Amino acid sequence: MSTELPYAADAEVSLSYDELEVLRIQYEREQLQAHITVQTKFNYSWGLVKSPLREHQVEGVRLLQDLYRTEPTRRRECLYYLALGHYKMGNFEEAKQFNNLLMEKEPTNLQAQSLAQLIEKGVAKEGYIGMALVGGAAALGTLVLAGFLRRATRASK
Amino acid sequence: MAPTGSQSTINVKLLLIGNSSVGKSSLLLRFSDEQWINEDESSATIGVDFRVHKMDVNGKKVKLSIWDTAGQERFRTITSSYYRGAQGIILVYDVSSRESFDALPRWYSELETYVSESVVKILVGNKLDKEFSRQVPTAEAAAFAERMSSLFIEASAKTAINVKETFQGVVEKILDTPELWDNGAGQSKVSSFRV
Repeated sequence: MSTELPYAADAEVSLSYDELEVLRIQYEREQLQAHITVQTKFNYSWGLVKSPLREHQVEGVRLLQDLYRTEPTRRRECLYYLALGHYKMGNFEEAKQFNNLLMEKEPTNLQAQSLAQLIEKGVAKEGYIGMALVGGAAALGTLVLAGFLRRATRASK
Repeated sequence: MAPTGSQSTINVKLLLIGNSSVGKSSLLLRFSDEQWINEDESSATIGVDFRVHKMDVNGKKVKLSIWDTAGQERFRTITSSYYRGAQGIILVYDVSSRESFDALPRWYSELETYVSESVVKILVGNKLDKEFSRQVPTAEAAAFAERMSSLFIEASAKTAINVKETFQGVVEKILDTPELWDNGAGQSKVSSFRV
């Protein structure tokens, strides 16, 4: 028996086009009636945040931020999905901030703990890429400098 | 029929459902990590949680994907999107909460909407450690499970009694159900959820 590390399921799996449509249509219908229920708004923002498209994620995070402000009873799930949305967009600092707020209130929350691990991994990966870029730039710089020196030595002869 | 040969790993998708606070996450935590978190320290699941667990069943290697859903009403739409493709459903109630047992018909009607009849169901009466405050007699629950064509077991995530047996039982039945292995056909009824 063995168990792999838990992960944030909602970070990986997105809804089908039809499923997101169900949520969007419900949201827009209520918008037309000028009364959007908290549940509808939450469902739609959740669907958006799960989407692989950045514009969806951005809109999802915007709606969640609204809900966080206006609905104190929904704060824990808003924090979680705000963290998740920012994580998916690669905004690791924001992701960490929201997730930390949740962990302050619920230190033993296993979902927040595994999301924290994911965020750390994301930061580390970004760090490697950054180092590779810096390393690449340094290598390029050396070549340019070498070329310059070669020309300079040739010119001085 | 897919589950043949002992070399290759068989993938099985399970879903935990039931009212909030009946101990779905605790059962999963006990099964997968052999851990237990006190009720006042544990937090309600947000949306859905997920674990992968490997086990051997009757000499076959099985990789379980277990989806642990939030029981709170507010997450009902979210959780219904995870029914698709499930081969086994673990319905949990709390033996010391009549309310959680009385809510079962509603959970079964969700199943009727989202999964096919061949999907394996097991009804689990959790919190067997609270025998002193039991509100649901074993015989009544067993009879109900039979009517709903479900396996039945009473367990305790706290004491670990019957937890492994719960998962083992549902997986064995899944491996013995050929309809669940016909190219994944007949596993789910609908592709979209309702709101």
